[in-house]
Amino acid sequence: MFLRQREPLSFERSVPGKRGMDLPKLDVPAAKDTRPAHLRRSGFDALPELSEVEVIRHFTRLSKWNYGVDDGMYPLGSCTMKHNPRLNEKVAGLPGFTDSHPMAPDELVQGNLEMLYTLQEWLKEITGLPGVTLQPSAGAAGELTGVMLIRAYHLSKGAKRRVILIPDSGHGTNPATAAMAGYEVVELPSRPDGTISFEDVTDPVNGKVRKGLKTLVSELGAEIAGAMITNPNTVGVFEYRFKEISDLLHSVDALVYMDGANMNALVGVARPGDFGVDVMHLNLHKTMSTPHGGGGPGAGPVCCAEKLMPFLPVPVVVRDTVKVGEGEVPKHSYRMDWDHPQSIGKVHTFYGNFGILVRALTYCLSHGGDGLKNATLRAIVNANYVRARLKGAYALHIDSPSLHEVVFSDTNQAKHDVHTLDIAKRLIDHGYHPPTIYFPLIVPGAMMIEPTESEDKGELDAFCDTMLAIAKEAEENPDALHQAPVLAPLRRMDETTAARKPVLRWTKA
Amino acid sequence: MRYLPSSSAEDQALLDTIGVPHAEALLAGIPEPLRLRRDLDLPPTGSEQEVLWQMMGIANKNMRFCAQFLGAGAYDHFVPSAIDAMCGRQEWFTAYTPYQPEISQGTLQHIFEYQTLICDLTGLEVTNASLYDGGTACVEAALMAVRVAKKRNTVLVSRGLHPMYRDVLKTNFAPHDDLKLVEVALKDGATDMADLQAKLNSDVAAVLVGYPNFLGVAEDLTALAGPIHAAGALLVSVTQEAFAFGWFEAPGKAGADMACGEAMSLGNKPNFGGPFLGFLAVKDAHKREIPGRVVGQTKDLNGETGYVLTLTAREQHIRRDKATSNICSNQGLVALRANIFMQLAGPEGFRGLAEQNAAKAQYLRQRLLELPDMQAMGDQPFFNEFVLRYTGDYAALEEACKKECLLPGLDLGRFYPEYKGCILWCATELHTRQMIESLVEILARVPATV
Repeated sequence: MFLRQREPLSFERSVPGKRGMDLPKLDVPAAKDTRPAHLRRSGFDALPELSEVEVIRHFTRLSKWNYGVDDGMYPLGSCTMKHNPRLNEKVAGLPGFTDSHPMAPDELVQGNLEMLYTLQEWLKEITGLPGVTLQPSAGAAGELTGVMLIRAYHLSKGAKRRVILIPDSGHGTNPATAAMAGYEVVELPSRPDGTISFEDVTDPVNGKVRKGLKTLVSELGAEIAGAMITNPNTVGVFEYRFKEISDLLHSVDALVYMDGANMNALVGVARPGDFGVDVMHLNLHKTMSTPHGGGGPGAGPVCCAEKLMPFLPVPVVVRDTVKVGEGEVPKHSYRMDWDHPQSIGKVHTFYGNFGILVRALTYCLSHGGDGLKNATLRAIVNANYVRARLKGAYALHIDSPSLHEVVFSDTNQAKHDVHTLDIAKRLIDHGYHPPTIYFPLIVPGAMMIEPTESEDKGELDAFCDTMLAIAKEAEENPDALHQAPVLAPLRRMDETTAARKPVLRWTKA
Repeated sequence: MRYLPSSSAEDQALLDTIGVPHAEALLAGIPEPLRLRRDLDLPPTGSEQEVLWQMMGIANKNMRFCAQFLGAGAYDHFVPSAIDAMCGRQEWFTAYTPYQPEISQGTLQHIFEYQTLICDLTGLEVTNASLYDGGTACVEAALMAVRVAKKRNTVLVSRGLHPMYRDVLKTNFAPHDDLKLVEVALKDGATDMADLQAKLNSDVAAVLVGYPNFLGVAEDLTALAGPIHAAGALLVSVTQEAFAFGWFEAPGKAGADMACGEAMSLGNKPNFGGPFLGFLAVKDAHKREIPGRVVGQTKDLNGETGYVLTLTAREQHIRRDKATSNICSNQGLVALRANIFMQLAGPEGFRGLAEQNAAKAQYLRQRLLELPDMQAMGDQPFFNEFVLRYTGDYAALEEACKKECLLPGLDLGRFYPEYKGCILWCATELHTRQMIESLVEILARVPATV
């Protein structure tokens, strides 16, 4: 996997006169220069001059310094790093899809509209919620869309509410989103089992009282626009009182937003629409296996209850049934419906990350309803297998039943001055991508392990054996762990200097 | 199901170790009344062959064109084969955000190079690992400008900005009662200087103008910068066609304080509008207000040069509700396509492609103007898009083009009532002279005004 050869920046390899692209012969007269002198493009300072061979070798070598899902287990909790089927890539690359223009008239892109409509139908059935928009580009964009729907709902009733409740275990995107949508964030404390506390919680260290859900709802009442709740939560535990939580919030007409980052634990097993969720997003790059691309593109569709449907972003993809004669198979046509006067507007320039949505539908069709449920069950089995094998060696700060991921703490290893970061870096030496670390914040030294359904028993065992060997090493030779990684292309990086004296681009010496 | 590594013997061994009789027993944490007690009402598992054929059937329902003369924010350019080949490597497309630098140097170094090249194209000093698309990049730019300008609450937006970017801005500004979004009118296809002057005041944090704008006109950033800077506001250029950076001066060198927009043109197909590539480049002084992931150069313990995610104190996972944005996932793989494209093109390729685009668009315009029902709309500098008034019937023109497998330019009246009857045309290096002649020939046969 790792090539231990240094790969310079491409700019350092640039030699004047080389080129990696030949242009077609110009078959029309050369362009007349009508630009005012000050708007004429001056030189470039960085674009490198390289042949195609050099560019391909550069990006091939760089790629070998990455760890991908096909290299092995990638247990990055909350990110659902499952197998990325090649069929999905092939389908997304069909020229019928890739060449189609977003401004083309509806009747010329019936395939695209059918694709979008079909995916909407799948997501409706999976979530139990009747409204869908596929526009948001990622989970955070979905959250923002969802919270704007909540805002539009209250405004339509003449109320402007100011508060969004968010559990202290929530993803950082939740409070950041609420702020972007103009809301004030009030934090909900967790109980020792990791779920939301109805009662007030007294901090054992400083004696400070943090108000629980019941107090907050009774004190803030109609100030609460809604709550953003991850379920299963970031500890991998189902909020078992979810129905009570939503009933309590609904009693003051506050709405329930579900962060669907962990939907891989629920597909085919439980539906948010059935337990009180008003609006949620799905991360298709997690649950539906669209590739993570080194940071994106993802897709964060939003599903909502009927009362929020009038506010969905435009356009909404709809299906019309064309009248046919008796006994004939009904024919359908699809169109973009822009006529929604109460809509929050557009949240993406066009219709979302279309190519990613194509991959997600391909994934759904491959699995089918039965396959989706089996994937959920296998993901849960795999997480619980890792839990069973590592429990004891690693501390379970929260011992509630795990669904698709398990969160360990470094408290056992901390006795030997070995911490989560050391364990993570040692995993790299053993050829694994580390789990998500130091999140959720409510678990000290958290290691959030999400194996996903893609791992077979052999791979799980190899990972668990490695984790156990590291636990043993922590007792016997803690300093070796402080040195890790030693087998990766680079040692630990100086992140402090990187932030203090930022070098954010190459410049000519 | 071919993706699940399931066999009855192994499955049993997993369950035995866990100590449960069957997988469903692990769902005990989900209260019984909240469980779905039926199968999902969805089709069953599909084989690879079945699914491929089904999806091919759907893709085939889209009309395929011999040539598309439509741009309007989504441009069809040639994509070198090396890009698909490279991006098909699992090390690139299956990895996630480079949280662990020692095992992600490939992605990190690529982003550092990508940042360098976006700065080069825009003539600015700092950019990030990418944003979702042109529309949301405008939102991030406008909100950032408000943070930078402090105590100024108004953002002026030229009516020449892509209408869908303006829609996305409106949606995202709506929740902020303290912020104002004000439109600046157009005159002769460019931002109306008199209207701009009238609306500039000490509350204005930034002015967003298209460069080139939706009508294809290159706004004179240098002329606009004067009054905007005099009013203490920031000039934000918004570019929806990144190839224009090979023709018009880098916005940072022409007077813009920030440059944002859409870079899908670099190595991507129109893809029905996504995944695209939002970008935002700013001055060094403003770097700590930029949203999203940023990669920086540093050293490891042994003094070897390497790359890390940096300036994270701005971001949601650290700052929560005080973050500069909620963005985390971006358009990584699309940025990789753009990076490879720019490195293949190099300065000569990039400039050469831009010249070809300008030449094709000029030729298309000249030939269209020879038709009796096409009229010029001024002679502002343009790149690969331009507007002509059409005195005929657009629906008849569209129908005639469709029959000959051509997609005509955009009916501008859809977005600008004042430009009713006008068409926004686009030509790129993909349009051969033959395609242009065919279009002109077909248009000449469209029946006169109905």
